[in-house]
Amino acid sequence: MNKLASAALWSLIAIVGAFAFAALALGRGESVNAVWLVTAALSVYFIAYRFYSKYIAERVLRLDDTRTTPAVRHNDGMDYVPTNKWVLYGHHFAAIAGAGPLVGPVLAAQMGFLPGTLWILAGVVVAGAVQDFIVLFVSMRRDGKSLGEMIKIELGPVPGSLALVGVLAIMIIILAVLSLVVVKALTASPWGLFTIAATIPIALLMGLYMRVIRPGRVGEASAIGVVLLLASLYFGRAVAADPTWGPLFTLTGTQLAWALILYGAIAASLPVWLMLAPRDYLSTFLKIGTVVALAIGIYVVAPKLAMPATTRFIDGTGPVFSGSLFPFLFITIACGAVSGFHSLISSGTTPKMIERESHARFIGFGGMLAESFVAIMALTAACVLDPGIYFAMNAPAAAIGTTAANAAQVISNWGFTITPDMIEQTAKDIGETTILSRAGGAPTLAVGMAQILAQAVGGKSMEAFWYHFAILFEALFILTAVDAGTRVGRFMIQDMLGHVYKPLGNTEFLPANVVGTVLCVGLWGYFLYQGVVDPLGGINTLWQLFGVGNQMLAGIALLLCTSVLVKMKRERYVWVTLVPTAWLLVTTLTAGIEKIFHPSPSIGFLALANRFSDAAAQGKVLAPAKTIEEMQRVAFNNYLDAVVCGVFVVLVVAMCIYAVKICLQALKQAKPTAHEIPPLAPEGAMA
Amino acid sequence: MRTRGREDKVVPVATGATGGQSPKPRLRDRLGNVRRAYLQVVGIPDYESYLVHMAEHHPNEKVLSRQEFCARAIDRKYGKNGPRCC
Repeated sequence: MNKLASAALWSLIAIVGAFAFAALALGRGESVNAVWLVTAALSVYFIAYRFYSKYIAERVLRLDDTRTTPAVRHNDGMDYVPTNKWVLYGHHFAAIAGAGPLVGPVLAAQMGFLPGTLWILAGVVVAGAVQDFIVLFVSMRRDGKSLGEMIKIELGPVPGSLALVGVLAIMIIILAVLSLVVVKALTASPWGLFTIAATIPIALLMGLYMRVIRPGRVGEASAIGVVLLLASLYFGRAVAADPTWGPLFTLTGTQLAWALILYGAIAASLPVWLMLAPRDYLSTFLKIGTVVALAIGIYVVAPKLAMPATTRFIDGTGPVFSGSLFPFLFITIACGAVSGFHSLISSGTTPKMIERESHARFIGFGGMLAESFVAIMALTAACVLDPGIYFAMNAPAAAIGTTAANAAQVISNWGFTITPDMIEQTAKDIGETTILSRAGGAPTLAVGMAQILAQAVGGKSMEAFWYHFAILFEALFILTAVDAGTRVGRFMIQDMLGHVYKPLGNTEFLPANVVGTVLCVGLWGYFLYQGVVDPLGGINTLWQLFGVGNQMLAGIALLLCTSVLVKMKRERYVWVTLVPTAWLLVTTLTAGIEKIFHPSPSIGFLALANRFSDAAAQGKVLAPAKTIEEMQRVAFNNYLDAVVCGVFVVLVVAMCIYAVKICLQALKQAKPTAHEIPPLAPEGAMA
Repeated sequence: MRTRGREDKVVPVATGATGGQSPKPRLRDRLGNVRRAYLQVVGIPDYESYLVHMAEHHPNEKVLSRQEFCARAIDRKYGKNGPRCC
């Protein structure tokens, strides 16, 4: 493209973006069209990619296509394979995009659409995409080493071990909170539960098909799976209405929690080809398809944003999560803006498949922009809903009660007018008995998606179908994550146990595997159960704990990137990673410390624990607990949450000290001291 | 998904079926490339590229069958180093 055309194109994108932002900013007092929000986001992504990622690629990292990548150097046709950059982009995106970007923005919508949107856009450009890109680069220059190994090499063995402990803790919390999202979505929802349960035999059938009937035919099996999945969605309605089958698939929260714990233990013990891999294929297929469908749906339907730009809940009194905008918005929306978990993917299989160094910009930076776009659409879907419906779905029973009449009254008093009829009609439209207190993001997003997609295809009568399709889509990849995450957690636990007693570390030894699996499932199962039975806590507590952990991992990854830049003697450009590192450390340390020590029991773990244990000591029972034992359990759980949060805080502070020390040492050196593979490394170097 | 007519030879053009005589890509080749791209997105490397690689670099070593190749790819993806995201 010649220079003039390029300048014209980018000016046009900038003007469109500015126009979209103006529509968002000036539309006070009247509802703004969602198209402006999505357009503003897309303009930001294009401009950030074209200019900022180019700057990072050329000036800061100096990507060099004459250097061989691990995929080329170790090409074995299997583990290390140079891969087409578009294909690898799809592979990387499928690995990074899970349920996270769908949940956080929906919860954050209680503050209005503007705070969430601004943080997602600013966060992804300054922090999230930068982290994914630079971690990918650092790993690519080190033969695709993992985050833990790289921290060990560049920062030392102690930080390396600390990082591993942190990753395991985050893993446990994420498994618990994702399971909790599924429980909240499927409680007393026979149609939803039937469809999700049906994915188990469908996956088994696909697994057998790919292994025994037509070995290696993944595409065929996926196609069969998708058809069966849609059939189960269609028949789910009849099953739910059936007098014998309906009640069988109507479970309470605790029953579902136990079912999930059992499922996790069994699923993680089966061979991967039987259930995990086939379901992963189904979920990848649905994930990409649904995201594209939703984007098209928003442009076709052009819904209005019913949620105001900001609500009164930016003061920290919101029913969905407590705590003021700073710092809690920035930990509630983790994935979509910046996610520490991505640093594990960017140092996993992706760096082993990159064909040329320059591709890292598109895959690392561009991949994260796509995930951010998913978060923007989730936020849009939540904000298209009537705010009254949004709060009815997301506020806990302790705040709005358990009847539509009571909920409507409370929510109307908050200033979001809603009638009991509207609440009941919404439940009816989506084919459910109730929508009250279904926190966790998935159901809210599903109602928003159902309303948008039904306007595009099928009309009102299809809403129930679209709702359950959306629930299926989310639950499917959450269950995949639970299965895969339990396995990874087991390996990590066994790795640590192996240092204590050697045979326990042997992953080929069945009893050791059982111990590892039971420990892993027991740990996340405990947090899950605690969340399900705690009418105050649940998502409110666990999601923030996860947010703190995930953002701290991002902080750790960015500390590594910063240290590597300094060791490469690129300290001139160190602000690129230092600015997001500083921001993450400030927000997450503030949030972590407030979560532990804040005097208000709705925010601070210790305050709440003390309140319950003090009352229990005096023999008083505080709602929502009903007995003294329940009081003590609430107190214990909150002490435990405070400890977990404390571990995250200590970890990141320790990591920060190590990183500063390493950077100061490197600054004194005249030459680069980063442990990179030299440009013309012989084959097999550092392998 | 552009997989053809690019300078990178990562997803090799399946010319086997046409013997390379047809100058225009055939629908069948295109579908084949889409299939192979899909497989790689879900984490199974391209078997045909593997065969090419083995023939070029390790002509005397035993080559895995398609079934063994897929089985290994699946085991590896969900094994020790396969964390998935939130």
